[in-house]
Amino acid sequence: MQHQSKSEVRRAPRLALYALVCLWFFPSTVPLLVAQTVDYERPVPILTGNAGYFTTEDNGTTELVPEVIPVLLVPLGDRWLIESRAEFYGGFDSAKGQPYSGKISKDLDYLQADYIANRYLTVTAGRFLTPFGIYNERLYPIWIRDLNQVPLIFPIESGSSDGVMLRGGFPVSSWANLNYATYFSSENTNATLESDRGFGTRAGIFFNRPRLELGTSWRKELTDERHNAFGLHFAWQPPPIPLSLHAEYARSEYGSGYWIEGAYRLSQIQGWNQFMRRTEFVGRMQQYFSGAEKLADSGGKYSLPHGDTQQPDFGLNYYLKDGLKASASYARWLGHHNWNTWTYGIAWRFAMPLRHAGGQ
Amino acid sequence: MKTKIAILAGIPILVSGLWAGAPKKSEGNAPTAVVINSDDSAAMRLEGEKRFRANCGRCHAAPHKFPPRMMATIVRHMRVRATITDQDMRLVLYYMTQ
Repeated sequence: MQHQSKSEVRRAPRLALYALVCLWFFPSTVPLLVAQTVDYERPVPILTGNAGYFTTEDNGTTELVPEVIPVLLVPLGDRWLIESRAEFYGGFDSAKGQPYSGKISKDLDYLQADYIANRYLTVTAGRFLTPFGIYNERLYPIWIRDLNQVPLIFPIESGSSDGVMLRGGFPVSSWANLNYATYFSSENTNATLESDRGFGTRAGIFFNRPRLELGTSWRKELTDERHNAFGLHFAWQPPPIPLSLHAEYARSEYGSGYWIEGAYRLSQIQGWNQFMRRTEFVGRMQQYFSGAEKLADSGGKYSLPHGDTQQPDFGLNYYLKDGLKASASYARWLGHHNWNTWTYGIAWRFAMPLRHAGGQ
Repeated sequence: MKTKIAILAGIPILVSGLWAGAPKKSEGNAPTAVVINSDDSAAMRLEGEKRFRANCGRCHAAPHKFPPRMMATIVRHMRVRATITDQDMRLVLYYMTQ
């Protein structure tokens, strides 16, 4: 017993020193383990975008549409971003047993420089998507849109403008954010950079808790006619359920109309959950009422109906993996003539760094 | 006696260790790396996920996470495209890079 106590006494200084060294090491390393930095990682240029292949059976005509839509993003410093999107797409159709024929087209949707001036303001210059409604800027990419067919009123609100834009989003209270975009565009008759002289603005308010956004748009053409266009938009993702609702209304000299669309993911269904949570049902109702003037058909990708039209759409999306989606949809065209439209295909979103991206 | 000496000698070592482990203030114009503890980190990640679902989920399904420097570019692009707020952008970036 005496021997043991002597041994313990001899070991005590070493144990104490060991404990002190551990104590020294512990506070030195713990912050390294738990510390997280919220400073930005330095952004790198990336090439992203989407590609797809869709087939449309439309009133007895089959059209094949392969498309590649690259987006180039080049950040410069802490406040600048150069961004550009182009579209390369084919349209090959065959009417009742005839061989397929068509052409490949290209568009430059935007090529813009963004300067993030402060938390309230971003200044954009160059060619940009006209901020009217939400479909053109946010929902248009084929990997995002729930139905491959764009809304009937899309040609009223789509397009690009060459000029200067001021935009931003900021909180106005703890429960709401305001967002805005206002622009001036100049006339450009170049086929690739086509733009009308005019100005316009869009404003929206987003309520955080119910995830509800309401907004309005206005555009004034500074051409001989001085036309006005007006729009409303709505988006709602009710938090308890995997449902996404979007709607727009637009009115211009070329007509007016609306669309309302709901997309529901089946992730709440317990059985076959792996399959169900990748599956999405979509429904859309839309109407178009022709206006006093006809929108000139410039041979572009989209055009307005020739008369009053309504169209219910139903679709099914299956998300095979991140960024890869298979889609099928049915629409019933109800206008001067009635017919069915079937669309099916696949869309893929890609993204790759053009320099070392770090991590993962 | 030796134990007491060892403990007395160890006190400066312990103090120096605590000093070394303490968060340091950033100096001058150096990048401001905010050091936060694990509780704050979890709270920020949770808030970032909430902002991600509220902002990004308005238009598209949640993508997988990309490498941090790619994510920084994508979030800057989305700040402009979707007019998300500065604070939301920071929290979404934090969530998507953790």
